[in-house]
Amino acid sequence: MGEKTPFDEMYNPDGSVREPYRALAEWLAEQPDKGLALMQTDAEAIFRKLGITFAVYGSDEGNEKVIPFDVIPRIIAANEWRRLSKGIEQRVKALNAFLYDIYHRQEILKAGRVPEKLILNNEAFCPQMMGLEPAKGVYAHIIGVDIVRVGPDEFYVLEDNLRTPSGVSYMLEDREAMMLLAPDLFHRSKVAPVEIYPENLRRTLESVAPDSARGAPNIAVLTPGIYNSAYFEHSFLADQMGAQLCEGPDLFVDGGKVYMRTTCGPEQVDVIYRRIDDDYLDPLTFRPDSMLGVPGLFDAYRAGNVTLVNAPGTGIADDKAVYTYVPDIIEFYLGEKALLSNVPTYNCTDEDQRAWVLENIADLVVKEVHGSGGYGMMVGPTSTKAMHAEFRKKIEARPDNYIVQPTLNLSTCPTHISGDVAPRHVDLRPYVLVGDEVRITPGGLTRVALKKGSLVVNSSQGGGTKDTWVLED
Amino acid sequence: MRIEIDHSLTFSLPPDTAQLVMHLLLTPASGPSQTVESWSIEAAGIGNAGRFRDGYGNAAHLVNQTRPDGEMRLVARGVVRTTDTNGVLGRKLPDEPVPTLYKRVTALTRAPVTLYGKFRSAKDNRLDVLHGLMARVGETLGLAEEAEPATQMQATGEQTQRQSAEPDSDLPPTIDYVHLFIGGARALDIPARFVCGYLAPGDGMAGGLHAWAEAYDDKLGWIGFDAQNQVCPTERYVRLAVGLDAESALPLRTVPIGEIVQEAVVKPA
Amino acid sequence: MLGRTAANLFWLSRYVERAENMARLLEVGYRMSLTSRREGGASEHLVSMMQAAEVDEGFDAKHELADVDTVAHYMMFDPDNSSSVYSCLQAARTNARAVRTALTGDMWESMNGAWLEFSQIKPRDVRGAKLQGLLQWVKQRSHEFRGALLGTILRDDGFNFLQAGNFVERADNTARILDMKYYVLLPRATQVGGDLDIQQWTLILRAASAHRAYRHVYHDRYKAENIADFLILRPEMPRSLVYCANFVQQNLDSLAKIYGRREQCQDAADSLLAMVEGASMDAIFSEGLHEFLNEFISRNNRVTDCLSDSYNFY
Repeated sequence: MGEKTPFDEMYNPDGSVREPYRALAEWLAEQPDKGLALMQTDAEAIFRKLGITFAVYGSDEGNEKVIPFDVIPRIIAANEWRRLSKGIEQRVKALNAFLYDIYHRQEILKAGRVPEKLILNNEAFCPQMMGLEPAKGVYAHIIGVDIVRVGPDEFYVLEDNLRTPSGVSYMLEDREAMMLLAPDLFHRSKVAPVEIYPENLRRTLESVAPDSARGAPNIAVLTPGIYNSAYFEHSFLADQMGAQLCEGPDLFVDGGKVYMRTTCGPEQVDVIYRRIDDDYLDPLTFRPDSMLGVPGLFDAYRAGNVTLVNAPGTGIADDKAVYTYVPDIIEFYLGEKALLSNVPTYNCTDEDQRAWVLENIADLVVKEVHGSGGYGMMVGPTSTKAMHAEFRKKIEARPDNYIVQPTLNLSTCPTHISGDVAPRHVDLRPYVLVGDEVRITPGGLTRVALKKGSLVVNSSQGGGTKDTWVLED
Repeated sequence: MRIEIDHSLTFSLPPDTAQLVMHLLLTPASGPSQTVESWSIEAAGIGNAGRFRDGYGNAAHLVNQTRPDGEMRLVARGVVRTTDTNGVLGRKLPDEPVPTLYKRVTALTRAPVTLYGKFRSAKDNRLDVLHGLMARVGETLGLAEEAEPATQMQATGEQTQRQSAEPDSDLPPTIDYVHLFIGGARALDIPARFVCGYLAPGDGMAGGLHAWAEAYDDKLGWIGFDAQNQVCPTERYVRLAVGLDAESALPLRTVPIGEIVQEAVVKPA
Repeated sequence: MLGRTAANLFWLSRYVERAENMARLLEVGYRMSLTSRREGGASEHLVSMMQAAEVDEGFDAKHELADVDTVAHYMMFDPDNSSSVYSCLQAARTNARAVRTALTGDMWESMNGAWLEFSQIKPRDVRGAKLQGLLQWVKQRSHEFRGALLGTILRDDGFNFLQAGNFVERADNTARILDMKYYVLLPRATQVGGDLDIQQWTLILRAASAHRAYRHVYHDRYKAENIADFLILRPEMPRSLVYCANFVQQNLDSLAKIYGRREQCQDAADSLLAMVEGASMDAIFSEGLHEFLNEFISRNNRVTDCLSDSYNFY
């Protein structure tokens, strides 16, 4: 797959403009010299002023950066989106059914469709969750699905994010910025709104409040605090949906219920959208050294007095090793074929497959099973021989710690690069909400690899974002 | 047999504790081997406790206290009537998780292949394998001439429960026998769980707090194995709480962490 | 509102006010040092200002010589000085960041912008003449923040915590400036002050941005008791103790109304105001100016302590 020219989102191979991009192409042609560069400068000022920054781990100075924003939007046609969103809905329903099953009767393990040991001995599996009945039967309420495109009709799911997916604030702020920068462009196209996300998030959270909640549920967003790389997003979402932004010490349990400390005394909390990892959520049940969490929170959850969103233990469903079974999971619970394809994945614990992988490592992508953010990952074609050798050794030492996939030739989208427009590789993360119903926001976060030829789109590795347009019919 | 239990836990708090939160597994359940006739927990804040079932089916309490005094004392006491079932408890109860959960290997329950290797290819039925494994754990860790479980259990800073062995004995603490048995069973693909409970004195064994294992047989269901004493539980055994290992079946977990000393007086009623 | 949020708002406002006061003190110290003709005079003025800012001990521990550049750097940029403009703006911004949802967009942008601009300034670029420009800038950013606050925020509990922080800090600052030079403010037999007195009085008035306003109110030459009266008892003077105490009392009263109950902190604010409302300078002088100021500072601190208790700051 690595050899041929990547699929270009905007131009056909003959140079003509693809239908969804027609208005954009006209608009681009009308821009004066340096018009885009000026816009780019304005965009940066907007983001810095709004305080949309993220912390980069391991960088000494200026630990707050603005994620680069590209002023050229990425566009998805209405019919393409319909297909995608059907596939996404199918996927999140199946994954929630899977979570319910493995925390109850474990039928899928009994049936042998997913290896028992892969689940039971997985670190992401949370035995404390056994037998718990989450409101509406939902475990993963807020999901980001990473999708890549390699051809006109070829989409692949790269990974599911069912723990605490981030980036949704960029989806919203990118749109806000784009509307400020190029209002005229919006007049020419029918772009589906993404601004409904905060309201939908609120509805989703309200719909999963415990039965004991009186009146309108009291919702809190639980953040690790201002030094977390996604703190901006936590405060942004709390603000946008009118919820209280809390840190661990703001909450406490009393009589099996959870309260926040307010200027008028304790106030009971019904739903917690937590942006703290499972391990740090509650030192009484999980890591005892955690200073971020709330002691007793998990017990209050088990007692049915508060809803945690997402539920602890959802990570088992987005584990990279479980990922390969998602098509089986969909078939098992829904009796349907998966609408969205998985990327073919090689299992290094299988001797034949491992031998083949080691032979062809220069053409493959190697990912650590528990890695994220583009760390612990190697893209064969853009890595040195020394890197190839290093990862061969790593795989041989711990074959179960890695998954290997072919290098996908991610689609490209025109991107503003210092005054010029040039194609750069992109991916797509739509955001899904699951509560009383499944709500998919038309759009998502498009991440773009700003380095020429690079396939790594993570912001921590020099990636940027684009406003993502879903066109309406 | 009617057994009277008086289980006390003393807990010293770090100075200036603003909030104390406790997770209690101190409520025995009635089941095939035992009927709880009366039971009560005395602890500051217990009246206001959150009550629920944990992931292993135990009845649990969440108790909290603001600005607690320097030392906390909890007492659980009651009378339990037991029957001898030769250790057999039967199929899973409604509140219990699926037995396969107990195939999960935890950090505390790893067993060396030398322990269970010889059973891997055994054609024996599962019950024979489990009895063989119990004997093998006894051989591996050693057995007292006349085993006498201590009456004290201590939770250290990590709140891992260790039963202090007899001071003049070189034998490892009770939970090592349990963990080794569980590790071996799980390595053989047999679900096995940790049981924390009480033992009434008799048959050359002192009474008090005790721990043993239960393993699952597809036909008979859960069966108890006390490798330290090389017996299946009799009518002198009272089950209190179960879990994947000692850590998940601790009778008391707290934040902040402190040293817990517990003692159980167990005698025929 | 979370108790922590209330605390963040209170301290956000205090730090913004403190940054402004530090800039003001440094400005005066700098001016006076330029005009001092005596040997060692420049250094004396700078040290006085650092005493009023309560940073003199920290400075002494780090530096031998109190020259303009060293003092300016210490009061503007030194992160080791918890009251430096740098530290104040950083603390203000950290507090603001923790309560972003309780601020208006305009307030946040003002605060965030001030911090981002200030943190990019290189200290070596602001020596000498450029210092005054930067001091002016600090005051302006503080005014801008206050303007954004007054112009955009809801008049709810958050507003009152913010305002209380502002005026508790300002009262503290004015009381300290007075206490630093209280002995030149004592009434004396001769009405005419010497050159040295005039210089000290100017310093005090300038530190409170009151040297021009003084003329508007008194139409008179500088007199010790007038200056004390102006900065302590004049209700029209926005940095006077009575003005600040009044504001604090009103803000806390509003909180009591909003929450429907009075707490200890309202009593503390009443007792602060009682010291200066309807008081006369004669009575204060006969009680002892220094003792009076100390008592005021301690009652002012008690307001913060009680406020923290009453509204679950933590």
